[in-house]
Amino acid sequence: MARIHIENASVSYFLRNKGDASKTAERGAVGAQIVVGRRYLEITALRDISLSLKDGDRVGLVGMNGSGKSTLLKLCAKALAAQSGKVEIEGVVSPQFALGSGLRPTLSGRQNTELKCLYLGVPQSLIAERVEEVKGLSKLGGYFELPMNAYSAGMRSRLVMSLLRLVRGEILIMDEWIGAADPSVSGTINELQSQLIERSQILLLASHSKRVLADWVDTLVWVDRGEIRAHGKFDEVYKDYETWLQSRKQ
Amino acid sequence: MTLWQSIRPYLSGLVRFFHISYIEAKSEHRGTHLGIFWIPLSSLLFAAMLALVFHHADSMSVLEFFFYVFAGYIFWNFIADSITGSTDVIQGRFEFAIHNNLSLAGLFGKLLIDRLFAYLLNLAVLVILIAILSPWKLGVGLLLFFPFIALTVVTSLGTAYLVNMMTIFFPDLKALIAVGTRFMFFASPVFWSAAEGGGGVRGFLVKYNPAAYFLSLPRQVFGIEPIDAKAWLVAAIVSAVVCLVGYLAYHQSQGFVRNLK
Repeated sequence: MARIHIENASVSYFLRNKGDASKTAERGAVGAQIVVGRRYLEITALRDISLSLKDGDRVGLVGMNGSGKSTLLKLCAKALAAQSGKVEIEGVVSPQFALGSGLRPTLSGRQNTELKCLYLGVPQSLIAERVEEVKGLSKLGGYFELPMNAYSAGMRSRLVMSLLRLVRGEILIMDEWIGAADPSVSGTINELQSQLIERSQILLLASHSKRVLADWVDTLVWVDRGEIRAHGKFDEVYKDYETWLQSRKQ
Repeated sequence: MTLWQSIRPYLSGLVRFFHISYIEAKSEHRGTHLGIFWIPLSSLLFAAMLALVFHHADSMSVLEFFFYVFAGYIFWNFIADSITGSTDVIQGRFEFAIHNNLSLAGLFGKLLIDRLFAYLLNLAVLVILIAILSPWKLGVGLLLFFPFIALTVVTSLGTAYLVNMMTIFFPDLKALIAVGTRFMFFASPVFWSAAEGGGGVRGFLVKYNPAAYFLSLPRQVFGIEPIDAKAWLVAAIVSAVVCLVGYLAYHQSQGFVRNLK
């Protein structure tokens, strides 16, 4: 059973104070307040947030740039720690933050796929089979045997998206939707992504696209300046969020 | 059966991580004819050169001195990698680890396996050479192999975390650590022996340098040096201190360091 329970958690980033930090205290239109300390600059990205998710939850995150969406995802993926409050994550987390993260550009598509299989716990006896499946899905042909740094951007995203075949996570965390490389593979990739989401017990997806969110999530969390401003049914929260966005533009 | 079932996942994980190390090491030597065999071969060549150049006493034959240097040199590489290879683990590799379902502890464990992979490859060559050249028979010292590996693993893990912490809080230490490790190579009995020098500065360095006790352990395991309980005791005490401090540092800092950009 998968579960995410966050109670009154605050999360800060720390950056080394390299001298003249007086200008960093200026507040911008986006992002959290920067607190200038003697040795570190502290950015409180999340403040006193509470969130409880259980099996079957499909949750979207919306908010402006720098509102804290990615920080919340990273907190759930245990990539960040909370400075205060309680965070309990139960279940295997599969973070999909950025295209190509977790791969080695100097290794071939085949070697990266083998490594991914090993890291993700694919049984040894199935690795060869899975590698061939990924090769087939990616349609990279001979390029699959070449180092990734010899790939074009499109080839790289073909490989990365084909690797979704290997991902098994009870808690699936995605920062922005992974787009298809080109129309010829979009069908297969969309199918893979659908399978991935359907297999997961909890989905946490941050996106700026209403279409993507409407397709995949039931509830929405609106994050603003490090705080959860609303959490509820998709239609209701998105409507409030859109109205707020419009009022800001005016 | 129950014991097997409880240790099986750990063994499976160990095999998995050694496989990862093998793939990564293979890719580093891609394009060469000898591939990963360059790892022990380069150690062998360098140790042979050190043995020829620095052998100058009658206490050991050239062959015995070569084994003394080779056993010390490959273990020194492991020690040096534990230190210099750990200065930017969290800063440089944590993001990669997260995308591969590795926790912070898992990342340090993975890097430890990488070091062990290279060391065990070198060690295999050492054992083969001892078997072929037969300067002596491998004896009871081999029983100490697992305690030696256990001490090595925990000390390396603790050292790696502490070194990383120190460079996070004091970035200037990174360069200092690199210089210090090079200095320690010369100040540790890797290619010289206190017995050859007859005490003096060498005797002092052997007595007060913790690395000297650790370097002595594999030599004792493979019969190059006689078994010395004092070396094991000192190494065990150093390991316990490093592990305790490393554990406390991990416990206190793992929340903060993950959020340090």
